[in-house]
Amino acid sequence: MSADDERPGDGYLSARGVTLGYGGEPVVRELSLDLPRGGFTVIVGPNGSGKSTLLKAMARVLRPVSGEIVLDGRAIRGYRAKSVARRLALLPQDPVTPERITVGELVRRGRYPHHSPLRQWSAGDDAAVERALDRTDLAGSAGRRLSELSGGQRQRAWFAMVLAQETDIVLLDEPTSFLDIAHQYELLELCARLHRDGRTVAAVLHDLNQAARYATHLVLMDGGRIVAQGPPAAVLSAERVTEVFGLACEVVPDPYAGTPMVIPLPGEAERRAHREQAGPRAPARP
Amino acid sequence: MSAPARTARTAAPPLLRLGGAVALPVRPRPALLGLALLAGLAVASVLTLTVGRLGIPLAELPAALAGTADPQAAFVLERLRGPRLAVAVGAGFALGTAGALFQSVARNPLGSPDVIGVGAGAGAGAALFGLLLPGILPGPAGAVLGGAAAALLVYLATGTGFRDPGKLIIAGIGVAAMSTAFTHYVVYVVARDRASVLQAYLNGSLSARSWEHALTIGVALALLLPCAAALSTRMAIAEMGDDIADGLGARPRATRAWAVALSVALSAAAVAVAGPIAFIALTAPNIAKRLSGGHGAHAFTGGLTGALLLVLADIAAQHSPIGDRLPVGVFTMGIGGVYLGYLLVREWRKGAL
Repeated sequence: MSADDERPGDGYLSARGVTLGYGGEPVVRELSLDLPRGGFTVIVGPNGSGKSTLLKAMARVLRPVSGEIVLDGRAIRGYRAKSVARRLALLPQDPVTPERITVGELVRRGRYPHHSPLRQWSAGDDAAVERALDRTDLAGSAGRRLSELSGGQRQRAWFAMVLAQETDIVLLDEPTSFLDIAHQYELLELCARLHRDGRTVAAVLHDLNQAARYATHLVLMDGGRIVAQGPPAAVLSAERVTEVFGLACEVVPDPYAGTPMVIPLPGEAERRAHREQAGPRAPARP
Repeated sequence: MSAPARTARTAAPPLLRLGGAVALPVRPRPALLGLALLAGLAVASVLTLTVGRLGIPLAELPAALAGTADPQAAFVLERLRGPRLAVAVGAGFALGTAGALFQSVARNPLGSPDVIGVGAGAGAGAALFGLLLPGILPGPAGAVLGGAAAALLVYLATGTGFRDPGKLIIAGIGVAAMSTAFTHYVVYVVARDRASVLQAYLNGSLSARSWEHALTIGVALALLLPCAAALSTRMAIAEMGDDIADGLGARPRATRAWAVALSVALSAAAVAVAGPIAFIALTAPNIAKRLSGGHGAHAFTGGLTGALLLVLADIAAQHSPIGDRLPVGVFTMGIGGVYLGYLLVREWRKGAL
């Protein structure tokens, strides 16, 4: 096992017929998904559709009830925990910030999977930490405490910790929650750069337009199943969004990027029904 | 910020290297704190041996340590204060480390083995197998059994494991009360006419310790401390939440299980040689954390602080004017109780309870 464990990863991750849950009714049933290697996969879906659950299982945080997660050709359960962490990194939703930790110390913890109990330093550590800090624009803040930073900077620091792991696969669970809109796009640009560097990236996002803008592979989930997947333009249609999210909408091409753009039309279904009921001569309701 | 921005390279801690196989980062502030605590412990140890009517005069101490002093000094060193000091250092270290481990698992400064009844449980186990059913198990094993039973009871009673600090403390108070009641019962049945036995089992005492006791706690520390050291990085990572820890391959659930087991074993070892001495496990790691200004588990500095606190408390207990040779446990209970009250109020205000 160990010789194979030491090999660098290839960046292949897939779910094979997994059923997932937290002890009660399964949240996800018999689901299979291949993350395209080197792609930027974005998983979207309504609350409770099982997207975060799926991401946790793919990161080996949640053990499937049945089925298997396969990493670089082998069942992920067969790897040692640290060996998985050298191939695959996860940015979870609500990490706990240790009291008084500095940005540098936090990012350094991303090197943990590369260490052993007696060798808590490896040749690549300094370079990897510096690269992660540079990329997230935090090089000047390494000595500052996380508690002194703004929400956007703090999220970038956690992102830098995940970068310092230097894995081929990076999974992010709603990385833009609680950020203002400029910081949301800042973080998405960081993800896109990772993808351009050839890493396999997968993220759970809430905003359909952001998902459509950045994803190379879009996965739409509902009720623990995958409803559709593929290029955003093929997945996002007005009918599908209305059906899955229960929101009337139009989907038009984004005038800037050309990717699909969802225009929500809340209340439109009722208005339409009212108009039809009242007949063509009735005055239009506000 | 007016200070020049630090780069990643300057933020990197210096390394302790031994050949190619060992490279451990040394954080300067905890390391300095460790040295300061060691110096304090040395001073307190000299005080323990020299003060009071029976104390070895300071000028004679080197000769006594070398084994060439007069018989009275030798008797004080070898029989009276030497073993007592060694047990105080060992038990204090064990309690401080046990507290640091448990507080890291509970992610709360109140989640220490003495607050949640592990110490009292170990005391009950020691009383059961030492007094009521002698000869079945050696005293230390009884203490481990009692401490483990108490930890298990608390774990089951909260319904949420060791996570919710409020529930943890309430369940702990219950388990500690039951354990203490049981110890009272055993002592009443077996040794109602021997006040010193009663004190040793109920409050913890360092009087009349022998080298055998010192050896017991020494062996326990030699076995358990390397495990605690090996666990410390993983514990620091587990404090960031299970998802992050899992993502880094630090196996948080296994880490916590090991930490609780080690904490119970260390508490029980201390109780086996000195009785259920209260509040060292609670106070020592918090003081160490405050002084080191760091994060993560403070197993080593917490242990040193515990040793220093217990030695100081014992000096005070031996020479205090308020009672003739008061058991040290009564002393730590008095001081630690005030600290517990302070912590409860602070955590309550923070909304952590």
